[in-house]
Amino acid sequence: MSVLLSRRDMLLAACAAGAAASLPFDTARASEALSVFGPLPPDPAPPGAAKFAEAAFEAWKKAHNAQVSYDLLAWPQLHDRMATAFASGSAPWNVLYMCGWVPEFAAFLAPFADDLPKALVDDLPASSFETVTWQGKRYGAVFTLSLLTLFYNKEHLAEIGFSAAPKNWDEFKRAAKELTRAGRYGFVANYGDPAGIGGTASYWMAFLQQAGGKMYGEDGLPVFKGDAGVAALQMMMDLMPGSDPGSISYAGINDATNVLMAGRASMMMNWPFMWNAAQDPAQSQIVGKLGSAILPAGPAGSASIDGTDAWTVSKTSADPALARQLVEFYLDADVQKRQALDTGWLPIRLSVLADPEVQQKLPNAAVVLEQAKHPYNSFVTPDFNQVTQALGTEVQKALQGQKTAAQAIADASDLVTAIVKRRG
Amino acid sequence: MPSPATYEQRRQTAGLFLLAPSIVVLLAILGYPIVESLLLAFQKVQLAAGGIDRQFVGLANFQRLVADETFRRALLNTLYFAAAEVVLVVLIAFAIALLLNHPFGRAGLFRILLVVPWAIAPVANAVLWKWILNANYGVLNGLLQSLGIIDVYQVWLGTPVSALNFLLLVDVWKSVPFVALLLLAGLQRVPSVLYKAAYMDGASRLQTLMHVTLPSMRAAIAVAVVLQTIWSLRIFDLVFVLTRGGPADATVLLNFLAYRVTFNFLDIGYGAAIANVIFVMTILLAILYIRLVRPAGEAAR
Amino acid sequence: MSYAHHRRGGFSLRLLTGAGLVLFVIWSAAPILWLALSSVLEQRALIARPPDLSPQNLTLSNFITVIGSAAALGRGMLNSLIVALFATLASLALGAPAAYALARLSVPRASAIAFLVLATQMLPSIAIAIPLFLVISRLGLIDNLFSLGVVYLSFNLPIVIWILRNFFLGIPDGLEKAAAIDGAGVIGTFWHIVLPISLPPLGAAAVFAFVEAWNEFFFALILTRQSAQTVPLVIAAFAGQYQTVFGQMMAAALISVVPVILLAVLFRDWIVRGFADGMMKG
Repeated sequence: MSVLLSRRDMLLAACAAGAAASLPFDTARASEALSVFGPLPPDPAPPGAAKFAEAAFEAWKKAHNAQVSYDLLAWPQLHDRMATAFASGSAPWNVLYMCGWVPEFAAFLAPFADDLPKALVDDLPASSFETVTWQGKRYGAVFTLSLLTLFYNKEHLAEIGFSAAPKNWDEFKRAAKELTRAGRYGFVANYGDPAGIGGTASYWMAFLQQAGGKMYGEDGLPVFKGDAGVAALQMMMDLMPGSDPGSISYAGINDATNVLMAGRASMMMNWPFMWNAAQDPAQSQIVGKLGSAILPAGPAGSASIDGTDAWTVSKTSADPALARQLVEFYLDADVQKRQALDTGWLPIRLSVLADPEVQQKLPNAAVVLEQAKHPYNSFVTPDFNQVTQALGTEVQKALQGQKTAAQAIADASDLVTAIVKRRG
Repeated sequence: MPSPATYEQRRQTAGLFLLAPSIVVLLAILGYPIVESLLLAFQKVQLAAGGIDRQFVGLANFQRLVADETFRRALLNTLYFAAAEVVLVVLIAFAIALLLNHPFGRAGLFRILLVVPWAIAPVANAVLWKWILNANYGVLNGLLQSLGIIDVYQVWLGTPVSALNFLLLVDVWKSVPFVALLLLAGLQRVPSVLYKAAYMDGASRLQTLMHVTLPSMRAAIAVAVVLQTIWSLRIFDLVFVLTRGGPADATVLLNFLAYRVTFNFLDIGYGAAIANVIFVMTILLAILYIRLVRPAGEAAR
Repeated sequence: MSYAHHRRGGFSLRLLTGAGLVLFVIWSAAPILWLALSSVLEQRALIARPPDLSPQNLTLSNFITVIGSAAALGRGMLNSLIVALFATLASLALGAPAAYALARLSVPRASAIAFLVLATQMLPSIAIAIPLFLVISRLGLIDNLFSLGVVYLSFNLPIVIWILRNFFLGIPDGLEKAAAIDGAGVIGTFWHIVLPISLPPLGAAAVFAFVEAWNEFFFALILTRQSAQTVPLVIAAFAGQYQTVFGQMMAAALISVVPVILLAVLFRDWIVRGFADGMMKG
């Protein structure tokens, strides 16, 4: 992408993001150009596109004599545009957003995260690198701690004598069942889309880890066909009588979130963005009524999955060091703090998560931080989409009563084994 | 006065001259991609640094298709979907065209209203219907309940048969306008002398419809059927937004499957094989339909 | 009873037609009405059960926000307009003569050629996306309105040819023969005799080409970046990973449908009055 074009792109990206101020550029000076590919707000967009740390971003560009052009897109379309570009060998971006796609595109990425300053890496949760590591190399840095936690309607739970969120599976099931009355449902989920991070399969992965199971063995083959896998699915099935029957048809998390925000569901597993959305009177009828807690513990304790919003650097970057520095800027403590305070997206830096100002503005920060002390693997592999599609479809069949938990898990294991073997 | 031979020759030369630009444009833009996608169907394609790694594997992709349960499901769903859609769209569109061709229906407002469902951006249209059909707060449930037609809110997209048929309904809604426009244009070409003659002969309205209107409309109907078949076999955006092929692959249609395999799984060769199945199916159906209407078409000339 | 009276029909037919038109209006307009309502209601009202239409939930904030960030929508609409006008005019300019040639001008194997032309649209476009992207990116024409317009032209042209050819096939032979006897050349006959009586199908084809190019999503997604972004991408941007700003999306959809409706109004007369009407007056 040429330097001339990038200025236009930048302005457009700023407009698209709704940024009010136009951004000054000095095109007379020869400067390095970085092209950044990522999601549009309100999904976790970078500074200058989302409204936070704009001044700091300007200062960074000036200090590094760099121009940054944003190619931003609605999140659901990111993977398609990226896949087409990579498959044709002409991806023009230097810095790319990834959401569980690192192993899939590892051949196109630079393992830049191995070169991040130690002070920075030490301030990031070690497990946040799980989803951006492939074959021992770190290709990305997660920039927001995005874990599934439990959100609940405090009023509803109080009605059945719960002063706090359910702590374990038994309480969870009991609460869901008792809360399902008077046109309300105890639990709601978006089980409509089987695949991807946040799809049906990934919900099951959270339950799987709560039951003490994991997806793959050392040889990369699935090992979930056991008690933990079946127990996890059985737990999901047991929740169904206390769930919104529409759950199986909700293809996006938004469909389910709306039910919680309308006050017609009492509990939901959701991502940190939920907090601010529920406090907005224009869209929510449960302002001030939302509680947040770590996910109820299974036999092996609590566990979650990682939303894995990460920045990566393309292998073909003209100036990989500058690209890495931009990611470091995105992870700068002050930028992270503005990200949390201005957009509601939690920081990834432990020091910022512990910041009293952040915790006060975002009461769920402490909960997510607590959740992060438990396992939260999303088990991403190069076949993640295909694996979760197959697995999620089997889970859906069980949830609809077409198969028993054991049967669905056995079939899923066969399907996933075939997928992994085909990759070779 | 030109002799017949030169007249024909001149017409042929002029014809080639008028036709050439279109053929050149189509070949230049679509020639390579179409050939390439045919080749991809016989290859195993994997992403590698800097691009894709391709290997000819003969018929392996098609052998995989035969054993693929999801593909079989998608094939059956698609056959049902395409057949039902073509019939419904053409019937409803024909009825609307007749209505709008009646003196009562000639107000320009009707014609503009006709176009709107088709003109709404498909992505917004799909999201709109997702909200209308929502099991918990959808307006369809609210409306039907207040009319006393249903007792409790229904999960329209929750069971295989219902989900597939709602996808069908929404796509019919979106597809009717253009086909109606096409048939309306066809209706207006039926020479009014024929209607007048039928009237003089004392033909009933049904007789007029069967013996005057329909035969004159054969060509227009054939175009509508062939085009709608092409479009019905490549439904994609509605599935993508409304159901993602679910629940449990109940609404997976071939083109959605081709998309999923190509762009989500990056299994580009296998995706191309599925796309080529659609290609062949469409060609066969189109040939069938064209054959079916040909005798009358030839007779009319 | 005169023939004109007869066309309107007896009481029962008029009743049937009236009822049919009412049904037609409900069928077409009800979802659109809901779209319009959704764009002026707060989201909390739309997720109420049943949807809460009370006046305090009415808001113009969706429109204000969408128009306020008009840079994206305005730019998208301008891009879509350029691309769609190009694709429409070019597909008519190329397609009408080609269709005429294939219908009437004794081109050898005309039926087979016509079928092959249409067959280019029988391969799902998803299958050609990656090779097409490859070519266009090698040419350096990614994020370029012209390349997007040309791609849409290639999608529209076969359909336009097919629609028009079938109409041209129905033209009585005598018409052209008479023109030839009057000394008109082939092109002259096409221009002065055939095109003027083909306004309804030309109108239908034009509206088709415009709407398809205006609304096309997938190729706009992969072939553009920021500067050539068309309106469907701008509308899709309201649906993110976590949140769909439904009201704003519907507001943007309503705004974006205006040019298409204007076009339909413009072409209404073409679509309404065919030559059959002209003949009826005699």
